[in-house]
Amino acid sequence: MKSNKAAVLAVFSLLALVFLFPLYVALLMSLKTAKQTFDSFYALPSSLNFANFAHAWETSKFPLAIMNSLIITVLSVALIVLVSALAGYAIARRNKPFYNILFMLFLSGMMIPFQVTMLPLYKLGKTLHMLDTHWGIILIYGGFGIQTGVLFYTAFIRQISREIEEAAKIDGCTTPGIFIRIIIPLLKPVTATVIVLNALYIWNDFLLPLLYLQDNHYRTIPLQQYFFFGQYSSDLNLAFAYAVMGMIPVIVFFLIMQRFIVKGIAAGAVKG
Amino acid sequence: MENLIRTARNEMWYLLFMLPGICLFVMAVIIPLIMGARYSFTNWDGVSNSFGNVGFDNYVAAFHDPDFWGALWHTFKYALILTVLVNVLSLLLALVLDSFLPLRNLFRTIFFLPSVISIVLAGFVWSYNYSTGIPNLLSHFGIDASSPLGNPDTALFGLILIALWQGVGSPMIIYIAGLQGIPGELSESARIDGAGSWKTFLHVTLPLLAPSVTINLLLVLTGSLKVFDLVFVTTGGGPGFATDVMSTYIYRTSFSSFKGGYGMALSMMFFLILVIVTIVQMSISRRREVEM
Repeated sequence: MKSNKAAVLAVFSLLALVFLFPLYVALLMSLKTAKQTFDSFYALPSSLNFANFAHAWETSKFPLAIMNSLIITVLSVALIVLVSALAGYAIARRNKPFYNILFMLFLSGMMIPFQVTMLPLYKLGKTLHMLDTHWGIILIYGGFGIQTGVLFYTAFIRQISREIEEAAKIDGCTTPGIFIRIIIPLLKPVTATVIVLNALYIWNDFLLPLLYLQDNHYRTIPLQQYFFFGQYSSDLNLAFAYAVMGMIPVIVFFLIMQRFIVKGIAAGAVKG
Repeated sequence: MENLIRTARNEMWYLLFMLPGICLFVMAVIIPLIMGARYSFTNWDGVSNSFGNVGFDNYVAAFHDPDFWGALWHTFKYALILTVLVNVLSLLLALVLDSFLPLRNLFRTIFFLPSVISIVLAGFVWSYNYSTGIPNLLSHFGIDASSPLGNPDTALFGLILIALWQGVGSPMIIYIAGLQGIPGELSESARIDGAGSWKTFLHVTLPLLAPSVTINLLLVLTGSLKVFDLVFVTTGGGPGFATDVMSTYIYRTSFSSFKGGYGMALSMMFFLILVIVTIVQMSISRRREVEM
């Protein structure tokens, strides 16, 4: 049994190295010059040099792209949380056909692949002057995100006992009052789930920004990266420095939020 | 009377709560879907403001379009192979990570890490590793290798490998959660009754894990049928049209070839296929769950 354990550990360590290998190469490239890469591909650079990073930072509008990604992600996620919590509360507490039909409609919306609504969304965005704006793409992300958001919130609120709400109602509390004072404080765990899942998706999304944010003042990180790679494909060390810079925020977010991400995925599987 | 007013006011609040959600949903999903259905019966080029009705011509044309069938075939080939590979690998990882392995959390983090990186980055990093990094490594062992993405016969598998690397994280977590929900006494008693590890897994663990298997198959399959970013940024559908999938074909038709109406007809057909696949898959999995 003991040797078995060692063998499994060895296999897993090897597998972990395979998983990390592409990232190792990316990091290596970002730290070396073209000449160092040519001399010895896998060796660590003899001296740490961050010139690639500095250069990439300057040439690429990196701070602008980060700001765009942050604004779009934070506001979209806030919108999704607010709107889905409200709708989820109404659906969970009014067990009437009207609300249930809407609930089913939200759920069936999840089956529609984005590609199907891609061209009409572009046309709609053009008509309503939503292209190359922050608010346009935020509203669309809101419309996508509430579909799973409502599902999470409805399932969660249905499990909350109604008795406190009844008591508050007798004391003269209105529906919004109940929602703000009693329900919102109880929603923390499910809100964490909705936040991390949507934040990861929106931060990394490529296709919607490709359609909606063509002006480079509004480009998000993945989109800016795509164009940057195209432009600097001859200077790979520079392109990789940009790639690594783009990875850092999301990896840091992942490491901090890891517990919630794991919980969120598990909760999503059980309820979805 | 006062009661009635209060009830009405109360209902009004709930309706108000629903309103923003309905508005967003209508704008992002319902209106585009209706517009899309409408365009699919026209010869709209995707840009201009005028277009004419062509009835079912686009749909008929799609049936005679070899590129459409090619893209559909690639999409299913990609999705089915990926679904099987992702589920086998993530279940294996979960089984070991749920057992005795030391450093479990570290391994879990490492296997999940690729999932949080954007697909643009993953595609870029892998293209380079395929073309330079891996051949460089293999040359030390005297093996001559070239990028699988450059060869029409292997390009799709090259993409599948990237998607596998990126895709095992979440299913692995779902399997671990499922395994943790299985009481340990069950496999314990099976073992006492003389079942080996493999038999215990096959007859005790796997049936109890059926809900996780169902959800993982569904998520990976529907997700991979919709693949766009990975193909778009890594191969762009090439070499030739060897990796052209439905969504890249729809994108190209609608935006580069200026055949918006035709692109929408393709989209509608693709949507219908996805709905059928989802329903069939769900009914099969449900039945299996009951049987076990």
